[in-house]
Amino acid sequence: MDKQSRWAQLRPYMMIAPAMAGILAFVIYPILYLIYLSFFKYNLMNKDKSKFIGLDNFTQIFTRADFYKALSNTMIYTASVVLLTMFISLLIAVWLNKKSKINVIVQAGIFTPHIISIVSISLVWLWLMEPNLGFLNYVLKTLGLPPSQWLQSSKTALLSVIIVSVWQGIGYYVLIIVAALQSISPSIYEAAALDNASKWKVFYKITLPIISPQLFFILVIMTIGSFKVFDTVQVMTGGGPNNATNTIVYYIYGFRTTNIGYSAATGVVLMAIIGLLTFVYFRLLSKKVHYQ
Amino acid sequence: MKTFEFKYVRFAVGLVLKAAMLMVFIFPFLWMISTSLQTFRETLSFPPTWIPAVPQWRNFIEAMSAGPFLTYAKNSVIVTTSIIVIQMLVMIPAAYAFAKYKFIGKNVLFGMILLAFMIPGQVTFIPVYMMMADWGLIKTLMPQIIPFMSNAFGIFLLRQYFMQIPEEIVEAARLDNASEFKIMWNIMIPMAKPALATVALFSFVSHWNDYFWPLIMTDSASIRPLTLGIAMLRETEGISNWHIIMAGNVVLVVPILIVYLFCSKQIVKAFVYSGIK
Amino acid sequence: MASIAFERVTKTFEKNVVIKDLDLKIEDGKFTVLVGPSGCGKTTLLRMIAGIDPQTSGKVLIGGRDVTRIAPGQRGVAMVFQNYAIYPTMSVRDNIEFGLKNNKVGKAERNQLVETISSTVGLYDYLDRKPSTLSGGQRQRVALARAMVKKPAVFLMDEPLSNLDAKLRAQMRIELIELHKKLGTTFVYVTHDQVEAMSMADTIVLMNQGVIQQEAAPDVMYRKPSNLFAAQFIGVPPMNVGELGVEGVRFGFRPESAVLADEAGDEHFSISGRIATREMLGSETLYQVRGANHAFMIKCTEDLFTVDQEVHVGVAAKQMYFFGADGKRIDEDHHRYRDYMEALRGKRNG
Repeated sequence: MDKQSRWAQLRPYMMIAPAMAGILAFVIYPILYLIYLSFFKYNLMNKDKSKFIGLDNFTQIFTRADFYKALSNTMIYTASVVLLTMFISLLIAVWLNKKSKINVIVQAGIFTPHIISIVSISLVWLWLMEPNLGFLNYVLKTLGLPPSQWLQSSKTALLSVIIVSVWQGIGYYVLIIVAALQSISPSIYEAAALDNASKWKVFYKITLPIISPQLFFILVIMTIGSFKVFDTVQVMTGGGPNNATNTIVYYIYGFRTTNIGYSAATGVVLMAIIGLLTFVYFRLLSKKVHYQ
Repeated sequence: MKTFEFKYVRFAVGLVLKAAMLMVFIFPFLWMISTSLQTFRETLSFPPTWIPAVPQWRNFIEAMSAGPFLTYAKNSVIVTTSIIVIQMLVMIPAAYAFAKYKFIGKNVLFGMILLAFMIPGQVTFIPVYMMMADWGLIKTLMPQIIPFMSNAFGIFLLRQYFMQIPEEIVEAARLDNASEFKIMWNIMIPMAKPALATVALFSFVSHWNDYFWPLIMTDSASIRPLTLGIAMLRETEGISNWHIIMAGNVVLVVPILIVYLFCSKQIVKAFVYSGIK
Repeated sequence: MASIAFERVTKTFEKNVVIKDLDLKIEDGKFTVLVGPSGCGKTTLLRMIAGIDPQTSGKVLIGGRDVTRIAPGQRGVAMVFQNYAIYPTMSVRDNIEFGLKNNKVGKAERNQLVETISSTVGLYDYLDRKPSTLSGGQRQRVALARAMVKKPAVFLMDEPLSNLDAKLRAQMRIELIELHKKLGTTFVYVTHDQVEAMSMADTIVLMNQGVIQQEAAPDVMYRKPSNLFAAQFIGVPPMNVGELGVEGVRFGFRPESAVLADEAGDEHFSISGRIATREMLGSETLYQVRGANHAFMIKCTEDLFTVDQEVHVGVAAKQMYFFGADGKRIDEDHHRYRDYMEALRGKRNG
């Protein structure tokens, strides 16, 4: 009997052990290791020659112009992607909200880019945005507008990357918002109609507050996701031209072999930013968002 | 009667607008397919060629002979299936324990899962790479598989699902003298099939498409997946050979597009489900 | 078959003491109903018998055997849950025989048992269906069959009828009474509905806030409630209660014991008032009569009065109850009983 009850007490630990081992080995330990590395001038060839340099890597980060360039690029990218995606997908979702066959097909269609590898997406858009032969400039010329250099000019490169990301992400967020809209009980709208509320007022005063938890979720996921943008940049621009699309993760990636300590320190900074964002969001969440 | 007509006009305008919007999202893929069948000369023409005069199937052969694509494809399949199988084995018991048992330290341990959920691979890749190097695994497929053994998101989702199952069903099974293992295996897991399918689908899509992690973890062709192989076409084929690059791209995209065409409903449902919970 | 006994049982959840030092004997072969308002601890008692939420301290005995350390599946009990708790991914047959399989019952015997039981509850034609295709009443029967097939010594039921509509519920009540008669096993039935308790029980155990208020047969519970709580819990509408004005004592009478008349009668207790509301229920009519100090509910078999009419309420002496300041009922042989009766007469027209 006692043996059995001891087993009953141990069982949950045995069941979570593999999962916890995975997280310890590949998340918790790497975080600690990353922080440890960030205090060193690390020598990849000869570990013994690695030197503890305290916070030097961090002071270096915050005095280097290329870091600030990468940081500001990432912030501009994140803010633009989040705002544009949020606005456009909300618009489309309200438009496609009604349950009908056509709407389901359109939703499935605009979702397609989301399940395709970013590599493919990037290659296709590279071709579409090709300055001389690309389809987009053909359209612009046909419409009598001046063609753009798209990814090849430092003025428009970041914007081009933003367009591709928004285009890829919208479908997913439309789906989530539509699902949220459709889960609202119709009787609420019927009550509002009986109260003689205008369409805009119904949307602003009833619909928006009810779906705010989902919108909030989208905001968190999108912000954190955008902050770690890498694949599009790596395939489409390689950070260029002239660092115009260099982002934080790309920056970290760039130093991963040449200066591991510095790269790790930048990783710590990225982690801190993501942590801060998450924290701020959840503080706001507990205050503002309407929950049923 | 005016409102009657108005309704029809509105419907027609809506339909046209919806078709136009759909085109914005579908057209790039059609363009990709068209380019992949053109000759080099056709890709250079301006205004562009819409439909190639003679479909150039040999573009695909050329793209596929630019590198060991059979190896790439094999690697992609091995990595993706291994990840899904290992994740299921690790995730199910963990999610079940977090959902249905009480134990000391549960909240702290679950907090660690949530933390793992928040920390992206883009933060941890340097130390993980160094660990893999220390363990002598860099020349194998392991670095692409084992870091994903614990799917924090999956554990979170599945735990939610298990928690929704009424406790009475477990109690009824206990009264039916079923062992704890039997309760999990014969009753709870069959009930959680939709959630398991969601997680598996999610894992499949994200790891099949993954680019960042294999880019970091591989340095030889024998262990690279398809995504990397296709991305490298630009270097091996030259930047202006768009018809070959697009042909390679079609090879990467079409399998997933076909899967999506046949079970778009389930995939859409899975993604919505993961987004709302 | 088995009797059940609780000996000094205490149950705490987190830090809340739900039941403290409770003693109770449930007789072998009887239909016992645990009744009380929600949160009174009745379900907790049932779950302790089943072993799915064992007691914190004290002993639970089934058939004289201490089951404290025995797993739920080995206690020889079966339970029907409020939400039925049917295994949704298994067919009706798999649901019914799951317990038998776990108890290593042979295939031939299993089939035979499943077939007999399923015909008894009228599910024979549904054996290969999935529960999701069944109606509420049929699911209820699956739950019942699943319990019966194990031939348990004790049947536990946790509000099994509360998810059925009123008509089906009345029918199932009768079926359960017949089932109990046929099986002759110990039934322990939990409900918050006093009608269910009155109609089915051999013995009612009335609980409130973790304490047993009274343990008696339905007719005794109705005629001789041991305290104010029992008096007001059993019976619809509940017993009318008023202040006697002496030593904190309260008097009471049941709505159906009073007589309404235009003229003052010669009943022992009599007051006048005005009819405030009237509810015509078919076979009977409920009036709310407002007097100077009290409002009473009166149940009449005839529908003779209208709202706002002045009436006289009369109750015979032997229909009156008295309750002490502590809520306990004061018996007829209590030395002050006559004095209270006199005081009541003084309240005339009050």
